[in-house]
Amino acid sequence: MQVLDQLLDQFNSELKDIHRVPDLLNLKSKYLGKQGPISEVMKGLKDATVEQKKEIGSKANILKNQIETILNTKMEELELKDINEALSKDKIDFSLTDSIRDLGLQAAGFHPVSIIQREIEDIFVSMGFEVLDGPHIEDEFHNFEALNIPDTHPARDMQDTFWFADKKHLLRTHTSTIQVRGMKERKPPFRFVGPGKVFRCERTDASHEMVFHQLEGMMVGENVSVGNLIYFMKTLLTEIFKKEVEVRLRPGFFPFVEPGFELDIKCLICGGKGCSVCKHVGWVELLPCGMVHPNVLKAGGIDPEKYNGFAFGLGLDRLVMMRYGIDDIRHIHGADLRFNSQFKSF
Amino acid sequence: MLISLNWIKDFVEIPELSPKEIGSSFTLTTAEVEEIKITGAGLENVTCVEIKSFKPHPEADKLNLVTFDIGGGETREVVCGAPNVKVGIRVPYAPIGTTLPNGMTLEPKKIRGILSDGMLCSEVELGLGDGKAGLMELNETAKPGVKLLDYLNLGSDTILDVDNKSLTHRPDLWGYYGLAREFAAAHGKPLKNPFTEDWKKKIEAQFNSKASPLKVNVDSDSSCHAYLGLSINNIKVGTSPEFIQNRLLAAGLRPINSIVDISNYVMVELGIPNHIFDRDKISGDTLFIKKAGTDQVFKTLDETDRKLIASDTVITDINQTLVLAGIMGGLSAGVSETTKNIFLEVANWEAPEVRKTSVRLGLRSDSSQRYEKTLDSNLCYRTLLRLIEKIKEANPEAEIIGTPSVFYNEEKKSKELTLTISHAQIVSSLGMEVSVDRVTDIFTRLDFKVKNNSNVYDVTIPTYRTTKDIYCKADLIEEIGRMIGYDNIIPVSPLMGVRPIRLSQTKIFHRKIQDFLVQEAKSLEVMTYPLVGEELLTKSSWSDFSEKMILVNALSTDADRMRPSLIPSVINLAANNSKNYSHFSFFELGRSYPTYENERSQLIFGLYSKEETRFTELLSHIEKLLGHLNISYNFTGKSSKFKSMVVDQEWKGLHPHEYINIQVMGKFAGMCTTINPIILKNFKMKGYLSLAVIDITDIESKEMKDKTKYHPIAKYPSSSFDFTVVASQDVPAGDILSVLNSVKIKELKQKTVKDIFVMNEKEKAVTLRVIFESEIETLSAEFLKNAEGQLIQALDSKGFKLRS
Repeated sequence: MQVLDQLLDQFNSELKDIHRVPDLLNLKSKYLGKQGPISEVMKGLKDATVEQKKEIGSKANILKNQIETILNTKMEELELKDINEALSKDKIDFSLTDSIRDLGLQAAGFHPVSIIQREIEDIFVSMGFEVLDGPHIEDEFHNFEALNIPDTHPARDMQDTFWFADKKHLLRTHTSTIQVRGMKERKPPFRFVGPGKVFRCERTDASHEMVFHQLEGMMVGENVSVGNLIYFMKTLLTEIFKKEVEVRLRPGFFPFVEPGFELDIKCLICGGKGCSVCKHVGWVELLPCGMVHPNVLKAGGIDPEKYNGFAFGLGLDRLVMMRYGIDDIRHIHGADLRFNSQFKSF
Repeated sequence: MLISLNWIKDFVEIPELSPKEIGSSFTLTTAEVEEIKITGAGLENVTCVEIKSFKPHPEADKLNLVTFDIGGGETREVVCGAPNVKVGIRVPYAPIGTTLPNGMTLEPKKIRGILSDGMLCSEVELGLGDGKAGLMELNETAKPGVKLLDYLNLGSDTILDVDNKSLTHRPDLWGYYGLAREFAAAHGKPLKNPFTEDWKKKIEAQFNSKASPLKVNVDSDSSCHAYLGLSINNIKVGTSPEFIQNRLLAAGLRPINSIVDISNYVMVELGIPNHIFDRDKISGDTLFIKKAGTDQVFKTLDETDRKLIASDTVITDINQTLVLAGIMGGLSAGVSETTKNIFLEVANWEAPEVRKTSVRLGLRSDSSQRYEKTLDSNLCYRTLLRLIEKIKEANPEAEIIGTPSVFYNEEKKSKELTLTISHAQIVSSLGMEVSVDRVTDIFTRLDFKVKNNSNVYDVTIPTYRTTKDIYCKADLIEEIGRMIGYDNIIPVSPLMGVRPIRLSQTKIFHRKIQDFLVQEAKSLEVMTYPLVGEELLTKSSWSDFSEKMILVNALSTDADRMRPSLIPSVINLAANNSKNYSHFSFFELGRSYPTYENERSQLIFGLYSKEETRFTELLSHIEKLLGHLNISYNFTGKSSKFKSMVVDQEWKGLHPHEYINIQVMGKFAGMCTTINPIILKNFKMKGYLSLAVIDITDIESKEMKDKTKYHPIAKYPSSSFDFTVVASQDVPAGDILSVLNSVKIKELKQKTVKDIFVMNEKEKAVTLRVIFESEIETLSAEFLKNAEGQLIQALDSKGFKLRS
């Protein structure tokens, strides 16, 4: 009995000096092996009384379990230590992520015009508009005549058109050309938008470009109203600017619409109180729009007595510049990766 | 266009609103007011004074101490630096506390030690002129103490500055009377019409039976729509009264002399330009209105030589050209200080002709600006009468000779037009309820005659609005809409049938490409100019270009033609960016323009590295991209037989080795190459630029079927077999692997290149791994042995021996 009482203390004190797995295995066989003290005690019980057997036997079993538990814990501890030591010898330098390495330019991402254009396309698709495009090189019919801009119209002065030598072909000056083709291929009611590049023969500077992007929109049906136009514009702009936008329409002259409007938004900077951005008027001119001119509907093969519609044109580059605070429109086509990489996805 | 509200008030009462409110109302009903100016503001406390004496400032050479009489026997002293200080002259004086039009407030201030009691002013400081140096000198009526505004007869005026472009479609708004009609309609005030029948009769009463000394001959092929003329004798040319001068200044015109000023005054008032000749300077007794007939040089009254062409319409006497019709007069028969006898002309001309000539000459006058809007010939007579009235007013002794000569091209005369529109159509189109009374009222105020037959209106439009502005129902809807105020229309969603809308196939295709190249190929999307210059094409040795694609009115030689390919543009972009980055990846989805009708949609994807070629990386991305787009393709080598859609196979920029054609649907739709250094040299560029170019025009709009199909996962274990063959260094590993394609064993599921080991300078060992798998059984040892044997045999027969 006394042997057993002292045995645990003795085991613990020996365990203290064990630091390696083989030593631990030796210690295990020393205490729990067939020749070990517990086995010896058990063997010695052969001649004991029933009470003694019961008392000492159970005590020996408890002791055995205790030692086993301690040994297992210690074993795990030593194994972990060994593994970690081994792993530590094979260290990698994980501070060396791509972000701190000189791998040249790593940025990847979309062109900012694509980002905004996709956003706007998605808004329109969600409102039931198709997305179309058309050729950049047009003829006079699609760029002017079909849009109610006859040869003698002063509006042809308003747009500085790039012409080809044959004097018949030109670079489209607006995405309104998409309207003409869009109408011809469809039967009312329909709704579509047409984003794309347009060209103006204009001296370039920080806010003027000879190539830029517009998004044309058109809805044709029975009883389409100015109220509907305002509704779509307000919804669109609220989605784009991600806050409630106040709009107002005022008369504006564009040959392809009648009535024609300039759409202003209440200045997002000052909230309409007047600031330098809105030239102290409280409103910022954003886009031209209007009810499609009957002559334009006719040119598109649509009966203006039965159907009407609205159309609008949105300058995409301007929105992009507003969104990101870009100060020079020439960066759009400049392909300077110091510019493009600022709009990286990652 | 500057609109003086004081002048407008001749014809309509303007409600008591702030200038900003009046401007805003005009913006919302008619056209955008860009700026509002208030004249006379800040001048209320400025008075006339007379300089009594002056002496030099003790501390400064250029300054004087000036003493002057401010009226009521009081004097003041100021420090003044003006060069024209003189005893006895009368000048304007602004006392301390005045805020001048330029925003400066005068505060008590010592100038070089001496307190200046206010300031004597120049025209510029008072906002009255454009830069005459020195003090503004006033005449003898400027008694000391008189308010400057009273002296100038200048009440405070509000000037609205309206963008001319927004009035392009409204010829009637190029005169104040027409503008007044807009104010009257917008503010619900009556329009005062002084030009009544009685008025007309009073002036006509002065006509007489005297023979007209000047005949007018109009050629029918000229651009003349109307020509009205009248001779007046015995006028005196002097300076206009301040009232006229101030009005002209307010409208943005410079006063010239009393006769020219009347001509301009009437033009601004009624919107019809006119011309006054010095009749004594006209040779012969006839004015000819005709085409110039020959090219000639004509000196306009701004003393500039203008090159006229044969088809320009001119007005001549028997000797020479006097006026370029509708645009500007010449020097020879213009009114001068000595003019006594005059000839008044009020005419109308074919708008596009005037516009063409004025655009060609780069000469836009007040007159041509109005004529090119298409004016109404019917208004000429009223204008002539008004001109007579104003001249008689200024020259009571003037003598009218005979009656006006009148020519009208009746065919071109604007006619009244009656349009029929229902009330319901107006309401439905605006999306807003409006009463019949309101509609009728608006039409009436705009001078339209309305007949209402059970809410269907017959609206008769006056001739001055039908020259081109109003001709269809939509035009009438606009008139109602703008007068109600579009602002009052409530936004409302339309009621429309529901149908599924999705992005077009082309859009989806483009987005898939963009997504892949950004996310998988980790590249940046860029845009380059579709317009390029000859130099870029030359530097790129790009000869495949049609001269037809050159623009006639390009702004610069670097952007005077449509690009035949995106390749030159992106080599240039890579060259520019290689100065900043040692390694980058980019792509563009753009168009190339080989011919007018055949724009091509091109995808270009480029990888650049300063150190090493990235051609293999490029190919790996392109393989995956084409797979992602569900496009079946083949990679093949250069071909002299087939034409590539993206590059001439002989182009110098192609790499002799790093080149493959991408074959899609039987055509060479694309290629991948590393750009030959011979081209990079022209761009002063070092490093390696690999480009993939694919013409997606014929592919983008086709729906590519997703052919993915599920196969049950194999129930039986697969078996892999690695073996190594020896090949010469220059044989591509891919070629060795593809030898195995000739072995037809359906259980052969996968074959890959496992490893390549360089044995010596000439040879390499290529380890291939193949995997056999059956859906119905575990493959037997004999089967595998036999299959492996076939593979080894196939390679052996092509000269790739098993490595021993």
